[in-house]
Amino acid sequence: MSSYFGNIWRARYFWCHLALSDLRSRWRRSFLGVLWSIIQPLGMTLLLALVFSRLFHSDISTYAPYILSGIIVWDFLVANVTGGALSFVQADAYIKQYRHPLAIYTLRTVLSSLMVLMLASVALYGWTAVVLPQNIGWSWLATLLIFPVLALLAWPLATLLAYAGTRFRDLPHATGLAMQALWFISPVYFEAKMFRRGGLDALIDYNPIYHVLQIVRAPLLEGKWPSAADYGFSLVAALLFAILAWLVGRRAERKVILYL
Amino acid sequence: MKQPHISLQNVNLHYAAVAFRERSLKALLARPFGRATAASQVHDIHALKDVSLEIHGGERVGLLGHNGAGKSTFLKTVAGLYPISSGSLTVGGEVRSLFDLSLGFEPDATGRENILYRGLLLGLTPKFMRAREKEIVEFADIGEFIDYPIKTYSAGMQVRLAFAISTAVGGDILLLDEVIGAGDANFMTKAKQRIATLIAQAEILILASHDFNALRSLCHRGLVFHHGSLIYDGPIDQAVDAYKRANGLP
Repeated sequence: MSSYFGNIWRARYFWCHLALSDLRSRWRRSFLGVLWSIIQPLGMTLLLALVFSRLFHSDISTYAPYILSGIIVWDFLVANVTGGALSFVQADAYIKQYRHPLAIYTLRTVLSSLMVLMLASVALYGWTAVVLPQNIGWSWLATLLIFPVLALLAWPLATLLAYAGTRFRDLPHATGLAMQALWFISPVYFEAKMFRRGGLDALIDYNPIYHVLQIVRAPLLEGKWPSAADYGFSLVAALLFAILAWLVGRRAERKVILYL
Repeated sequence: MKQPHISLQNVNLHYAAVAFRERSLKALLARPFGRATAASQVHDIHALKDVSLEIHGGERVGLLGHNGAGKSTFLKTVAGLYPISSGSLTVGGEVRSLFDLSLGFEPDATGRENILYRGLLLGLTPKFMRAREKEIVEFADIGEFIDYPIKTYSAGMQVRLAFAISTAVGGDILLLDEVIGAGDANFMTKAKQRIATLIAQAEILILASHDFNALRSLCHRGLVFHHGSLIYDGPIDQAVDAYKRANGLP
């Protein structure tokens, strides 16, 4: 176990390079380059906030950062679920040549999407600071924990899906559907109070997605510290995925190459 | 330092049939309802059958065998890439392998950048690769193309660069799969010299090839594979004869 992580550490230059090269190819030959990662969620937020604030009679200035936080975190999760399922398949040229721990190929997916998330979150902090200046406080520092928490959640999940995705090549279609279903029952764009009004409290209280989002939303939008339950649910979900990924990986890791 | 060595005891390797049958969630869900036809029955491939051998430091070993005999599988097993089904395999020493040479290049990046990337793939540090870069560029000898993207390279140039990178880096055990035939005559001579230098440092070379002359000049021990079994292990000249006999060649 510790030697496995030792090998991951030894390969650090390689997976750092892979993650950075993903970003380079994402932004290559585009005039705005890196800025697209900020502009894209912002544009989407403007559109959604305009429509939804009318539909749900919400105040657009506070609802817009709510949507923006939902979009960027959700984009991160989708990137890791759909991208994660393909991580091993796309890295076949490397897997066939050198025996690195396979988890570095999902780490690459997690890292590159984490960097996109960090960039996109600049817009979130900026916007919130302008429209909700009264919320600025020490609790904002706690929002930075969203990055390690999301990484801990996404890495084992992506690894788990990568094993499944190597075995079942049509998995991305299924995960696309699952993510869409998850989106509808989670407070990503819809406000938590809308679920509560409909008596669907369980979809909020036991939903790790809600709790992960609260890590940024509580300080930014409500000026409060995230609750222990928010960290607890996120980390328990991460631990669960980690155990599953370890159990699957223990049996499947060496065999992956035969399926590529 | 301990001499590098390779030891295989009754090694068997199977490719699971499920790995190349139709693999989808649809197929998995449909399985209980469908009837198995003769055509859909794909059996596991027994790629290495009960292989036992020892290779010690300083040995140059040639692999012979028809296509599909198990040469590449053997090399990839030694490299630790393939999981063996039974038996035991111990490999002592750092393994460097040259398989599928054009794999792992980034087509949009320049040759110089790819030297670094490939070095990182091989588990080396950026510092080490920068120190070796000049020497690799000189050996590959592809002129100003080194600063062009890899996608503009010819197949031969790619192989030269890959060979230069993979052999510039020290390793105790060098595994080569049919790469000697690549490159022009000029480069062939250099490649052979390079391999000779590597072997001179008392390292193990295992070379799979169909070129008897290359095998005779580079190796002194030959292994003949036939349908996954090791049928001959001995001096290279006799190995070539054994290979010809087994395959009905003159």
